Formats: sequence, structure tokens, C-alpha cells
Amino acid sequence: MTPQDITKLIVRTSMKDRAAFDLLYRQTSAKLFGVCLRVLNDRGEAEEALQEVFVKIWTKADRFAVSDLSPISWLVAIARNHAIDRIRARRKPAADIDAALDVADPAPGPEAMVVAGGEAERVHHCLDELEKDRAAAVRGAYLNGESYAELAERHGVPLNTMRTWLRRSLLKLRECLER
Amino acid sequence: MTLAEDNGPERGGDDLLAAEYVLGVLANDERQIASRRVDTESTFARLVDVWEVYLSPLATAYAAVEPPASVKVAIDRRLFASTPARSAEPRTGLWSSLGFWRGIATAALAALAIYIAVPYVSLPVEQERLVASLAADGSDVKYLVVYDAATHDVGLSHVSGERAAGKDFELWMIEGKNAPVSMGVIPAGAATHLTVSPAVQQKLAQGAVLAVSVEPTGGSPTGQPTGPVVAAGDLKGV
Repeated sequence: MTPQDITKLIVRTSMKDRAAFDLLYRQTSAKLFGVCLRVLNDRGEAEEALQEVFVKIWTKADRFAVSDLSPISWLVAIARNHAIDRIRARRKPAADIDAALDVADPAPGPEAMVVAGGEAERVHHCLDELEKDRAAAVRGAYLNGESYAELAERHGVPLNTMRTWLRRSLLKLRECLER
Repeated sequence: MTLAEDNGPERGGDDLLAAEYVLGVLANDERQIASRRVDTESTFARLVDVWEVYLSPLATAYAAVEPPASVKVAIDRRLFASTPARSAEPRTGLWSSLGFWRGIATAALAALAIYIAVPYVSLPVEQERLVASLAADGSDVKYLVVYDAATHDVGLSHVSGERAAGKDFELWMIEGKNAPVSMGVIPAGAATHLTVSPAVQQKLAQGAVLAVSVEPTGGSPTGQPTGPVVAAGDLKGV
């Protein structure tokens, strides 16, 4: 499916077209489930989150029009934000957060190759300009949805130090991305 | 919101907050406040969107994992339990049935996906729904318009560009070389609707150019556009 095809499915879903919604699910649920699973690190919770994500997609598909994101990135953003909302609402951080962090990032798949054109490459290039551990913190926070509190604990620094540290990285990142 | 304000001292704070929100590092209460601002402040929502775009290539590292079939069944139950599948679409029932999901072979599924996708590829002559993306050079005003010919409803998603104080956006239909026909003042808001007069309906269904002009509050006093056109686009079949 091309991005244009996914766009059509999202637009038709916004018009409450169930066949389009079913096909959109077929085409994108595995990716979105991967997002929920990685962030929540719990299969049962990830399955529940995926349900809620697609309920959101059904009800909020018209909001796609207000985003500059590619269709699949827009769907991933919904799933990621929802999964992060869920872990933030947990009373305690997952006990095995360190185990989750040990999971190696898979090599970029065919999808990555498709988007690996200039613009998409930039964020990787700009992260490479940061110190190695800081770039790793940004990537880790993005992929695992870690909070400042969790990052601070893992790096053994006060929360405010971690906040300053990461904010400085974000400013540098933005400066590079806007260059 | 002027350009100067956009780049003023405020930008740093909100821009960083948007980055922190997208990255996901905020604590629960901070995150909820930011999330509410995304829903209610279009300027903040744009900052968040910019960061989502910046960081989205990182998401290629998420491995795809096939969810169990029970998830889709549960979604359908939550969304459609009270509304039985329309008789005009018999395949919907089959599509969401559990036995079907469990029993079907991958090859058959791929064939079905093509079967379902075909209607979107080969468009029927009579368009029931048309979409127009309205934009113009030198203007940040953008709308997505969806026209439903069956219900004569025009749905408008406000993408960007604020109206100035004392001004309204008015929507026009332009057909060939005829004078623009007003479709009404666009209500303020992220997602709004206009109802179309019977005279305009038929022309819209055949595809027309839509345009947005800046007018005094309440709409053009003359019945023709009096202010600059800030966005325009063709209505096309989806």
C-alpha cells in the first residue's frame, strides 16, 4: 500500500466507511501493535491499548487533515501517545523497564528504506551530532516512552538535572533540524 | 498570532514543552495538561505536529507484530455492537466474523484485500463523496473540505491560518467562468459543517473549484467576494 492508499483509507474512515476501516486495520494493525507492545511491555495491556487506538482512529480520523504527518506516521503517533498515556497513568513504572531497554532495535526494515530519503535521514544525522549517551536517551525516551523520572533514576541523576540535560539536547536537535 | 509572536520568547517554552510531550518524558499531570492544550489551542497543536514530524523517522525502529484476531473482534464489538452491518455491505459481516478470521488462509486474505481495495482504485462515475484541499501561495490558510452528495453536507476541517479580528472566512463555489456562488461563512472551529442549497448541490457533485475569501464579520456585503482569496482547490473524488 502506498501512503496515498493509506490516506484514502483514513479519509474514508472519517466518513464512517467500515470496509475502509477494516482494510486500514489489516494494513496497519501489526505496526501499531508493535508500538503498543514496545511501550507497554505487556501483551495483555498492549492488546487493550490497540483496541482503544483503533476506536480513536475511527472517531478522530477527520483530524488527520490537520496534520503534516505522513498517514502511517499519524497512525503511529496516535498509538504511541495512547500507549504513553497508559503507562503514565500506571501507579508505578513497570518493574522490568530495564529488561525492555535491553531489547535491541531491529535493523531498519523495508519501510525504513522507503522513508530513508533526505528529510527522514535528518533526524538520525542530527542525533548523531549529539553526544552518544544523550542521543541514546532521546531515542530511548521516544521508543520506550520513558518519563523524566524513569530516565533520572536509570542515569542516577536528580530529576531536574535530567530535565535540563534532555532539554538542552532537544534544543540542539531543533537547531540542527531547522538548519 | 503574528510571526513576531511565533518567534518571540514564548516560543521557546511552548516549543520545548511540545518536544517533551512528543518525546513522552512528561509526568502524568504535565502530560494531561499538554494533551488538553493540543485539543484546545491550535498554535500549540501545530508545535506538537512539527515535533511529531521531526521525530517520526525514529518510529521505523518499532517492529511490526501481528495482533491476535480477538483484538479486531473486540474493536468491532465496541464500535458497532448496536448498529448491525448495513445490508448493502454483506461482506462487512463476514469480514468481522471470528471464524472467518481464524479460518482464512493468507493467500485468500490477500485476494480479498485486493477485492475490497478495487472500488477505491477504479472510481465510479457518480461521486458520492468529494474531497478538496484548499490552500494558496503566500497564505497559511488551509482547509480540508469533504462533500457528501448523499446528505448534501459540507464538512470542513480547519488545518491552519487564523482569521483576523472583525473578519470571517467565506466559502465560494466557482464553476467555469461563472461568478462565484457563496456557500456561506465558515463557522469558527477545527471541524465545522455547512449545508448546501439545492442549486449548488448538483454543481458540486460534478466537481467544482472551491475558494475561501476574507470578508467582514458575517460575510460579504455584496454577494461577491470582496476580500483576498486565501485558499482554493478542486473538489475531487476520493
